[in-house]
Amino acid sequence: MTAQANIRVATRPHHTLWGDAWVRLRRNKLAMAGGIFIILLALAAIFAPLLTPYTFAKQNYNAILQGPSWTHPMGTDQLGRDTFARLLYGARTSLAVGIFTQFIVICIGLPIGSIAGYAGGKVDNYLMRFVDVMYAFPDILLVILLRSVLGGSIFNIFLAIGLVAWVNIARLVRGQILSLKSRDFIAASRAMGGMGRHITWRHLLPNSLGPVIVSITFNVPRAIFTEAALSYIGIGVQPPTPSWGTMIQDGFGLIFAKPYMLLFPAIALALLMLAFTFLGEGLRDALDPKMRR
Amino acid sequence: MAPLLEVRNIKTYFQTQDGIVKAVDGVSYDVNRGETIALVGESGCGKTVSALSILRLVAEPAGKILAGEIIFDGVDLLKLSDEDMHKMRGARISIIFQEPQTYINPVLTIGRQISEGLEFHKNMSPREGMQEAARLLKLVGIPHPERRIYDYPHQFSGGMRQRAMIAIAIACQPQLIIADEPTTVVDVTIQAQLLELIRNITKEFNTSLILITHNLGIVARYAKRVFVMYAGNIIEYGSAMDVYHFPCHPYTAGLLASVPRLDEPRKVRLQSIEGQPPDLIAPPRGCAFQDRCAYSIPQCLNEKPPLQEIGPNHYTACWVSQKGTRPWQK
Repeated sequence: MTAQANIRVATRPHHTLWGDAWVRLRRNKLAMAGGIFIILLALAAIFAPLLTPYTFAKQNYNAILQGPSWTHPMGTDQLGRDTFARLLYGARTSLAVGIFTQFIVICIGLPIGSIAGYAGGKVDNYLMRFVDVMYAFPDILLVILLRSVLGGSIFNIFLAIGLVAWVNIARLVRGQILSLKSRDFIAASRAMGGMGRHITWRHLLPNSLGPVIVSITFNVPRAIFTEAALSYIGIGVQPPTPSWGTMIQDGFGLIFAKPYMLLFPAIALALLMLAFTFLGEGLRDALDPKMRR
Repeated sequence: MAPLLEVRNIKTYFQTQDGIVKAVDGVSYDVNRGETIALVGESGCGKTVSALSILRLVAEPAGKILAGEIIFDGVDLLKLSDEDMHKMRGARISIIFQEPQTYINPVLTIGRQISEGLEFHKNMSPREGMQEAARLLKLVGIPHPERRIYDYPHQFSGGMRQRAMIAIAIACQPQLIIADEPTTVVDVTIQAQLLELIRNITKEFNTSLILITHNLGIVARYAKRVFVMYAGNIIEYGSAMDVYHFPCHPYTAGLLASVPRLDEPRKVRLQSIEGQPPDLIAPPRGCAFQDRCAYSIPQCLNEKPPLQEIGPNHYTACWVSQKGTRPWQK
């Protein structure tokens, strides 16, 4: 082999761990479909004003409770508002809930979990008992409580859901770090002079990232559903801001007369939750090193 | 000149459910500047624990260094604060571990792991660290280092990973390197290459080396002095020449007899040392080797033999030897 050929072999593109995971994820059709659906929905939510001439609050008393038609593709509600427009703007609420609550979850759960896992001993014990207490509360009850304490702005709803959901991540991260802590490469880093914070940041967290990402993806639909449930019982997003939960509740009253009012938001919610679940399952398989081929 | 490292009478015990395991029970040795010594013994005799004790990396809270002094360049490492110990590890003392596949972080590139120590101890920026990492990889004989630093561990072969481990260990030019069975997981041809590499590097930088191994075949070639460990104690030490030609402890003689030799007729059966090493939770009262020893005398049963000089700079802990006889010598 010539020297030229040797160099060519060495310059073959590198597969990083994340690159490998991406290749495996792409093979999973269901996960890709889920991901594409989420992206399309996000784009539709962002560019909602371009997709529909109506706004979510515009009432038209000449067109109340209409069925699907060319002017109103999904019909109108009892106030004459376009259901399609409300669905698109409602997607903003749902996606925002999904994303911002997970942001809060990471901000609280990741540090608490990693501190507990790395420090161990008393610190671990206290932090985890606190997590246990949080865990013991019924989620929806705690959200309702927080929501009534914090007040009703949309940001406070994110906060309330996030403040309840972080315990799972904290437990997960702690477990990951506990098992990684005894691995040999941690000893090797300590032998090179590595200290607590550095080891956690550079060695422990990157290694536990896979399961955390998967768990986050599974948590998104739960948060969306929690928000929908809050809106359904009337303490979620305040009208006229649309939420899929409120829309389902509005439709539920007219389930026999105008079933499509319930059907469209319910289908949308189900699809979004399925999409996140498929994506989460795909990510779990893709990030599992044992699946590597 | 005082030796670089003096280990004096250290005792490292492990608390287990069954009792206290005396993994290292009063071990002393010293390493001169630029010298290579070998720590020899079978599995579980305390070689690795005694080396980890130097770095204070014995797994706590189960393991504890209970007594002794480890004087490194005039400082007792056991008395240093954690902070000062961090500055010691990697910068002045470093270690090459046995299994490169588990001692290298799978999600970080090789370059970043080599530059880690440089960033701690030499205040290098990540970019400078990567440049230095490439230089080090070249030094340990990895082709195309400037690209290989971006590789992940799973893209390296076993031998290459061990080379990368050596690069990590020498990154900050420490004064002492502990090589804990650096060649047990690679095949024989790579073994020789790696040992030559370690030797050349220690020569070039005048680094002291503690070579921990159970392979007596490599000891004679690389180490100046040999310390033989058995059941948490050093039972014989001296220059490699003396220990090889005049083993003064039946255990050393047994180890030497169990090394296959090419210059002997093939028909000769390879010898082995019968029996198991003693239980380190309740070691025997007398000599730890007595129940495996073919030459034991009644004194061995009751009294633990001390290390005594038997020739110039040649020490042994054996009653039989100390009486002036060596029945195992052919």
